[in-house]
Amino acid sequence: MPNSQLLPRIIVCLDVDKGRVVKGTNFKQLRDMGDPIELAQAYEEQGADELVFLDISASNENRPTALKLVTDIACNLSIPFTVGGGLKKLDDVKAFLDAGADKVALNTTAVLAPDIIDATAKAYGSQCVVVAVDVNREADSSLGVYINGGRKLTDKNFFDWTKEVARRGAGEILLTAMHKDGTGSGFDTELTAQVSRELPIQVIASGGAKSEEHFYQAFSQGADACLAAGMFHSGDYRVGDVKRYLTDKGLSVR
Amino acid sequence: MKKVLIVDTKAGNLFSLRAAIEKLNFEVTIATSPPEQLFDAIVLPGQGRFGTVIENISQAGWPAYLLNARESNIPMLGICVGMQIFFEASEEDKNIAGLGWFKGEARALDFPKKPMVGWANIESEIWPEACVYFVNSYAIKGASESIATTCYGETFCAAVRQGTFTGVQFHPEKSSDAGLQIIRESLSRNIDLVGETINAK
Repeated sequence: MPNSQLLPRIIVCLDVDKGRVVKGTNFKQLRDMGDPIELAQAYEEQGADELVFLDISASNENRPTALKLVTDIACNLSIPFTVGGGLKKLDDVKAFLDAGADKVALNTTAVLAPDIIDATAKAYGSQCVVVAVDVNREADSSLGVYINGGRKLTDKNFFDWTKEVARRGAGEILLTAMHKDGTGSGFDTELTAQVSRELPIQVIASGGAKSEEHFYQAFSQGADACLAAGMFHSGDYRVGDVKRYLTDKGLSVR
Repeated sequence: MKKVLIVDTKAGNLFSLRAAIEKLNFEVTIATSPPEQLFDAIVLPGQGRFGTVIENISQAGWPAYLLNARESNIPMLGICVGMQIFFEASEEDKNIAGLGWFKGEARALDFPKKPMVGWANIESEIWPEACVYFVNSYAIKGASESIATTCYGETFCAAVRQGTFTGVQFHPEKSSDAGLQIIRESLSRNIDLVGETINAK
């Protein structure tokens, strides 16, 4: 890689339901974690480089409320943020970008109707388009691409799909390793590094982070950014703690 | 309270930019066409393609207003494409001429991964060390007005300045406190600070 001053990013993910940040303890119970704007500002102060709000847009009935929340976030946050979950049409994407989101994350829709990647990139620029790819290392060690929040396996070839996503104009790929999610055993650094090497866009590692060491492993092997939720929401780590650790290890961070 | 005009180039939402400037205790007006009255400072936002922004501002009659403001030494801040339009051209839209206030053109960044997305340190003779947020595929590679640089495959202008005009390639409105400081400094150029204190946050 040529010289670059670009720094690895730590991204904090917040799940939003009915205007509140929630944490899923299991499929039925959602624990209220607090007000999205207060939490977002707290993470900005901790040193988060970006935030991702997921499922903020999932429910159509609450669309005006969700859009207002996005605008409130834009007015109260001085770092970039992405919204995702449930964006089905280009009109949905437009509504959330116009409301103040810096980027949208597309997942199921991108798989089912991939032209939305091209259309969004053309209308707003590639920098607005994050394609989230949920990948699972199956029992036979093949890589499955999933949609519908990880519930449905598709017939997509993982490597072909990530290349197609980049070719269609995505600005970044959010790569969630489902086989790592919730394990606390660290990111799938090898897979992230492989995809990041092959693609002309940045790759965000997601799934499995539980300690500062996991960020070091991912960044030192080639992840452009790392996303985590639980380890920050639980209060076990502050973003600044992770950044101090990375600095001590010789990595430059913001 | 100092009055700041944001030029609405109709190329994106202005919520973050407005909020950032209001945090600095400026009064913000957003206009889609040149207003009658003068403002204490003017901001050109950083969204959209080079050609689209040039066409939109030209149709609305902004170039003459901006030139007049420049001659009146009104502080101006151009962000990202809002800076690039003041150069002669851009590789992004080769058949559309820039405003040509400064010599040079925006060229595609020479780096395997594009767009450049993320935080980078800038080296500047006049600003303290700062880490700011970049989102761009094109940049001004060199200009005699350069006051800050960074590197993405190659060194490019992170900021330019001539008189009361400041242009930044990064997004100060997305660059947390470091960005707010730069907005405040740029919009306060040559403004008489006596009598009214401009406070950060």
